Amino acid sequence: MEQAEVAVVGAGPAGLAAALLLARHGVDVVLVDEQARPGGQIYRQPPRTFAGAGLPPGRAYASGHALLEAVEGSAVRRRLRTLVWGLFEPEESETAQVNGSTPRPAWVLALADGEGLHRLAARHVLLAAGAYDLPVAFPGWTLPGVMAAGGVQAFVKSQKLLPGRRFVLAGAHPLLLLVADQLLAAGADVAAVALAQQRPAVVEALAAAARLRGRVAGLAGAAGPMLRLRRAGVPLLFSHLVAAAEGVEGLEAVRLRPVDAAWSPYAGTDVRIECDTLALGYGFVPSTELARQAGCAHAWRSAAGGWVTAHDAWLRASRAGISVAGELTGVAGAEQAVEEGRLAACGILGDLGRVDAAGAERLAAESRRRLRPLRRFSTLVQERFEPRREALAALARDDTIVCRCEEVTAGELRASLAGHPHLGDADAVKQLTRVGMGPCQGRFCQLTVIALAAEATGRTPAELGPFTARPPVKPVPLGRLADAAHPYPEEVDA
Amino acid sequence: MEHFDAVVVGGGLLGAASTYYLSRGGARVLLLEKGELNRQASGQNAGSLHFQLEYRMVELGDAIAEQFAVPMPLFLDAQRTWAGLEDELGEPAEVHLGGGLMVAETREEVAVLERKSALERRHGLDTEVITGDEARERAPYLSSAVLAACWCAAEGHANPRLAGPALAAAAVRHGAIVRTRSRVAGLARVGGRWRIAVRDGEPVEADVVVVAAGLWTGEVTAMADALLPIVPRALTMMATARAEPEIEHLVQHAGARLSLKQTQDGNILVGGGWPARLRRRGGVVDVEHRPALRYESITGSAAIAAHVVPSLRRQRVVRIWTGVVGVTPDQVPLLGELHGRPGLYVATGGAGFTLGPTLGRLLSELILTGRSSLPLADYDSVRYGHLIPV
Amino acid sequence: MSATRIEHGVSRPAPVAIEVDGTPIDAFPGESLATALLAAGVRAFRRTASGAPRGPFCNMGVCFDCVVTVDGEREVRACAATVRAGMRVETGADGAG
Repeated sequence: MEQAEVAVVGAGPAGLAAALLLARHGVDVVLVDEQARPGGQIYRQPPRTFAGAGLPPGRAYASGHALLEAVEGSAVRRRLRTLVWGLFEPEESETAQVNGSTPRPAWVLALADGEGLHRLAARHVLLAAGAYDLPVAFPGWTLPGVMAAGGVQAFVKSQKLLPGRRFVLAGAHPLLLLVADQLLAAGADVAAVALAQQRPAVVEALAAAARLRGRVAGLAGAAGPMLRLRRAGVPLLFSHLVAAAEGVEGLEAVRLRPVDAAWSPYAGTDVRIECDTLALGYGFVPSTELARQAGCAHAWRSAAGGWVTAHDAWLRASRAGISVAGELTGVAGAEQAVEEGRLAACGILGDLGRVDAAGAERLAAESRRRLRPLRRFSTLVQERFEPRREALAALARDDTIVCRCEEVTAGELRASLAGHPHLGDADAVKQLTRVGMGPCQGRFCQLTVIALAAEATGRTPAELGPFTARPPVKPVPLGRLADAAHPYPEEVDA
Repeated sequence: MEHFDAVVVGGGLLGAASTYYLSRGGARVLLLEKGELNRQASGQNAGSLHFQLEYRMVELGDAIAEQFAVPMPLFLDAQRTWAGLEDELGEPAEVHLGGGLMVAETREEVAVLERKSALERRHGLDTEVITGDEARERAPYLSSAVLAACWCAAEGHANPRLAGPALAAAAVRHGAIVRTRSRVAGLARVGGRWRIAVRDGEPVEADVVVVAAGLWTGEVTAMADALLPIVPRALTMMATARAEPEIEHLVQHAGARLSLKQTQDGNILVGGGWPARLRRRGGVVDVEHRPALRYESITGSAAIAAHVVPSLRRQRVVRIWTGVVGVTPDQVPLLGELHGRPGLYVATGGAGFTLGPTLGRLLSELILTGRSSLPLADYDSVRYGHLIPV
Repeated sequence: MSATRIEHGVSRPAPVAIEVDGTPIDAFPGESLATALLAAGVRAFRRTASGAPRGPFCNMGVCFDCVVTVDGEREVRACAATVRAGMRVETGADGAG
């Protein structure tokens, strides 16, 4: 079995920064990512075959460039196009010490790549798997042409494709303005941008953010995009939620609904806008599947993205041998992810015995210092742009699909909840209604299901809990699993 | 203090069934479940409705095989009970009795099937050994490696996620009270009745207590000073994403760990007894935490499944889980009033999913009328009487 | 009407031919299959069990709504697959495998 001292899962800013620091201190570190190139989502690189297309220009991505180049030239072992589908506790036989001096691995990572399945034993695992766009269920959201804002951004930034002709963007996160700006710059027809919050709240929030961190990538730069949108004549609607996506074989129009400060509709007319692509940007969900599957404790922090991995001051999770960095600790953006990656790496150096406690503190001092204002900033953004989950869940009518994979509607869910009043947690709802049992494994329905269950049972999301995460955290063909067995299955003694 | 005719401890399939049949018979019943209904073995198992003997029961010699065949009347009853269950409850449970095939690949395995089938027929179960070609005619999805199979028309599967909750919902319609997140903390005999202490809750009283707590049965009966041996077995299950309907039957194997089926929704469930690793705390088995998955069990299970049904290779596994079943050491059910503990009944044992509704119904007959429609002497706890001080 | 490739500031290699539902289309080595399909005007990549059309949603490999059949292999995420000359792609596979 392949061995490493540290396995870093996710080659976004947090994973890259951590892997680099570890490698510079002589640690044998493997960086694993499903994509063909490192960078994660925010530094998602265009294909190598596209000459002249690097990361977008500007300060926002300059540090991304530097990080990617540094890792490229380092001793970090990279396993790209590789999925980590589970974390296993090593068997006794796998922890046998080699010549008495090799310490036992803490975890065995189950990997899948183009060749098949492999395993990687590591003494320490850093989970930096990032986040994905918050799904919001409303009538028509499953139509072709309705996409996550992050997905639209990746098409534009890294695939150099305008994924449609006429765009509407709807959401509640300032990143939406950046995506609109990038679309405009690429020559797209942006028909409207609709934010859920009220105008004064957004303006004040952006000003407060800018005061806190003048130079930071992405966020404080929202003023520029807003100006350019206005100059281009793009209607910027505040206090509007997406209400419906209309079309038969694909998106043809979007209806936006006026809402009050609590995002509840009041008597007013929907705005109907014809378009073929809708970008949804209501927030982000940390990808905590592996951390949960390994049994790490999680906390419900709605503003931070929902379920976040609990950790100590060194970003160690609650299970020995696992640390977390980046969006898993709370959605906070690239700069904070980089510093968390470094901090976690310093803690791992201490755990590996490469430095003593004082040495780890010295190494981590710079990151801790930078994290203080970054955390103030990200906390402000989280609070000011927190998704109002009840209002979003209320968008789902009875015939609206909640579980996209299994096509379970809100009505079916509401009926099951009403007919089985003892359902006490998310898993119980899943067991009864089969939500979350498709290939996305609950990523795109879990939070809506929890919101609907909270409404029906009176229990809080914290009490309801997430769906239990189990391997494989992404689907694996049974044939691959079969081929990884010994030539013919031997009887395994219980 | 609240008083009930019966308190049922354990909200799995057997507990829900007992509650349903007792309520339907007019008793005022409280069901106490320590966590969520149907959360443990009842909700984790494969949903197989199997009546054929497992190959391991037959491998160990005729005398032992006879012993395992003793509960056959219960299995025959189970077939009738499951067939009518959805209509009776007015709730879906996706019961599908399309037949079962236990496949053999070697001459030795075929011999096992023949011995097994003869024994089963002696005990009233209609099974028949057919050739590999005949099996493939019935089940074209089977690989050419299958040499023969034992066909049992009565077998099939139901949806374990729905069956228990269906019984519980029907019980509630008949007036039963269900309390989840209510862990029983003590059992005491007070003035001719049972007093049941509930952790973080009020105690209740009942004329009758039914312990249908699966893996926790021994822990609960120990509160009444009765030690019952329940052995934990940690198992591994896999489910694929939905696929084209292709596998009509319950498929098992005469010499390897395999059980597979395709659900009504199209998911393919693969199991068969591949071991998971029980958790231990301080050297003692800890059943409060899910067992750890073993990589070899996952790959081994996938390999035999793909070997027998080659089209499975391209199906995507979306879920792998472990579960623990509690079995009696002889895998014969425990059913009846606890020896030396009047009013305290126990219901548990091997093949808990297949036999759940049957055992629940027989127990309710015993409690409500003093008699059951099938002889229950073989399942009496008196065989563990030496563990129950008077 | 549909998706268009951005030309400004990008220099792509020579296109290659791939086959989509029997029709040859041009695609660029290195780009994702989702990109090539959208640029060719394909919006519905698959159909659900109930026959509803689905296309790319997350574009980062987690939603599985963009799955197509590639060279006979089913359930391939188009957003994660890279275009290759001669690739045979079939869209519209129904939801049950």
